[in-house]
Amino acid sequence: MFQVVVGHSNDPDGVAAAVEILEQCKSALQSKTPQAGILFAAPELDHRIILEQICQTFPGIQLIGGTSDGEISSLLEFQQDSVTLMLFCSDEVEFIATVGRQVSQDPIAIARQTAELAKAKATLPPRLCLTSPESLTTSGVTILEGLKQGLGQEIPIVGGTTGDQWQFRATKQFFGTEVLNDSVPILLLTGNLKFGYGVSNGWHPVGKKGIVTKAKGNVLYEVDGQPILEVYQSYLGDIRPSPEYRLAVYEPEGTHWYMRSSNGHYDHASGSITFFADIPEQATVQIVHASRDEIVNAAQVSVQQALERYTGQEPAAALMFSCTGRLYVLGTRAKEEYVIVKDSLNQSLSLNQQLPCCGFYTYGEIAPLKLQGESQFHNETFVTLLLGCQ
Amino acid sequence: MDTIDDLERQIQELEKANRILTKKLERSEKNRIQLEETHERQQRLLYQAIQGLERSLHELQQAQLQLVQSEKMSALGNLVAGVAHEINNPVGFVAGNLCEAQRSFADLCDHLNLYRTQAPASVLEEHAEAIHLDFLLEDLPEILTSMEVGCDRIRNISTSLRAFARADKDYKVPYDIHEGLDNTLLILKYRLRANESRPAIEVMTDYGQLPLIPCFPGQLKQVLMNIIANAIDALDEYSNGLGYEAIEARGNYIKIQTSVIEEQAIIRITDNGKGISEEIKDNIFDYLFTTKEMGKGTGLGLAIAHQIIVEKHGGLLEVNSQLGEGAEFVIRLPLTDC
Ligand SMILES: Nc1ncnc2c1ncn2[C@@H]1O[C@H](COP(=O)(O)OP(=O)(O)O)[C@@H](O)[C@H]1O
Ligand SMILES: [Mg+2]
Repeated sequence: MFQVVVGHSNDPDGVAAAVEILEQCKSALQSKTPQAGILFAAPELDHRIILEQICQTFPGIQLIGGTSDGEISSLLEFQQDSVTLMLFCSDEVEFIATVGRQVSQDPIAIARQTAELAKAKATLPPRLCLTSPESLTTSGVTILEGLKQGLGQEIPIVGGTTGDQWQFRATKQFFGTEVLNDSVPILLLTGNLKFGYGVSNGWHPVGKKGIVTKAKGNVLYEVDGQPILEVYQSYLGDIRPSPEYRLAVYEPEGTHWYMRSSNGHYDHASGSITFFADIPEQATVQIVHASRDEIVNAAQVSVQQALERYTGQEPAAALMFSCTGRLYVLGTRAKEEYVIVKDSLNQSLSLNQQLPCCGFYTYGEIAPLKLQGESQFHNETFVTLLLGCQ
Repeated sequence: MDTIDDLERQIQELEKANRILTKKLERSEKNRIQLEETHERQQRLLYQAIQGLERSLHELQQAQLQLVQSEKMSALGNLVAGVAHEINNPVGFVAGNLCEAQRSFADLCDHLNLYRTQAPASVLEEHAEAIHLDFLLEDLPEILTSMEVGCDRIRNISTSLRAFARADKDYKVPYDIHEGLDNTLLILKYRLRANESRPAIEVMTDYGQLPLIPCFPGQLKQVLMNIIANAIDALDEYSNGLGYEAIEARGNYIKIQTSVIEEQAIIRITDNGKGISEEIKDNIFDYLFTTKEMGKGTGLGLAIAHQIIVEKHGGLLEVNSQLGEGAEFVIRLPLTDC
């Protein structure tokens, strides 16, 4: 048995929102008790009250989550300024939540210990890890590296880093009743779990390729010896850096690439631009282009991949992690992402009721690109994760 | 009781709706600001893109002009050997005559000096015989005249070359197209002569009554040069397959005919060379299309000719040809500037 329910409220009042999502979940659960949950909430809500209400209603629940730039669910579809909760009940799957605090002090070690702790608590070998780490205090790439070390490269890690609606001041992570920052909460799943994931972005590289000649972490200084700000200004003119600044970063083998997008921070003196995640020196980079149609369509590609890779027959729920950069470009069409995903799921699974779905808009997505591949950190992608027991 | 509960529920729902709407209003204000910023960025981008395009267009035009000029120079370069020969002929001929004239002049001076020393008549008589005085007096003016002819020929060639190489003004000027044709033929003269594989190419001109045509004379001569040089190439290639006698029997010719029809000056340049097959007829005006061997053809001649006639002069450049049947190129130019 693997039952999943969702709640979703766009009531800006924290207490009222908590009451509403718990009502929705309880009525769907029909007196079953969930073992675990994942909560995505807009930054301005009163998160403490919401977390306390959930933990009071379901004592002992393994709960993680974080602040988001937009929320998705099968109940209210696409929303902003809302809160959505997904709850899991299963007698075949075990859930263990742990958290690493002050992760920026030693990202790799702290993330590794967090994963090792969850593994130690588990009674069965780990199958999958969900996470919603901090995005601003340290590099998501290094946190992911630590988690991989703790779990082993072969355990898929899927999730997204927390956001704050383009303020870049403070994002929050949730762990039980705690509202944290600079932390990495994870939810480890073991037992008879079936899953499938897909990653797609819809962008394609255009123009001239260049080599990164100077970069430090997620700050890019020079490409082909020229300050990156100048490179962009030669294309875009003298405008302030913005989400328009995106790059395809090629893997060393030269054909596969992943995306990095600017978080809008730049430095005139050094001519550098700050990205949502690390860019390695000596990597080949290229500017990318996409139309809104191509971006929306990537959501469907991601779902189709997840369906093809699903290790069972019948997924019981879907989690989605979409980049805040997509939200920015899609504008009023952002709501189409969920619609296209829903249609695609309905068509492929021929269900008689809506598959429970929950997701959020992140500052960076995490998932393996390939089947059996290592988990990677992405920007601008739509990640779909299907879960179930059958 | 029921109604009070109902009312309370309705009030609660209205309150919730109010909270949500207020939030949505806030959100829409935020979005509007974001939209404004995006719009401004897009406008700047568009502006940049347009400026970039204009810049590239300008650069392209410059490059094209340069290409035209350098093609002209390379055509001239190809002709240098011929032109040098063309100049060497009269130079050799003038130089030879000059020796002759110097010798005759020295003999005449000697004879004059004999007069000045008041030599006896018998001595004078003897000397006159020795230097063939009668012949000398008859021959020297002829030598001088033919030297003058040689010098004229050299001057003509040099004028034509200069006229050909000269850059045009940036506006059209009235020009005598027949002068352009004659200039061009003069520069190409060496290539028209007989050589080991074929007899001379006969040039037949049939000039009609043409007014001065508003044009860029340098560019127009470049077109004539390209077309006539192609005709000579076609005749050379045709001759390669045939024996000398067979060619002589058939005759190699280039016909140049000019006329005015319906407000257009028409220049027909016809050859009886190898002709053009259907397959390549559509390509001959393309940039870099050539059937000639490396180093010989550039594939620019007709492309540039087409550009000059059609784009710069608002005219037409057509070709009529069949394989083995020779080729005819027709240039049509408007009589008035448009
Ligand atoms: N009078 C002609 N007779 C036969 N073929 C010709 C004639 N003029 C041009 N062509 C064909 O058109 C081609 C392109 O000519 P052009 O643009 O002048 O380039 P190029 O002379 O350098 O080859 C020539 O290679 C030749 O095949
Ligand atoms: Mg040619």
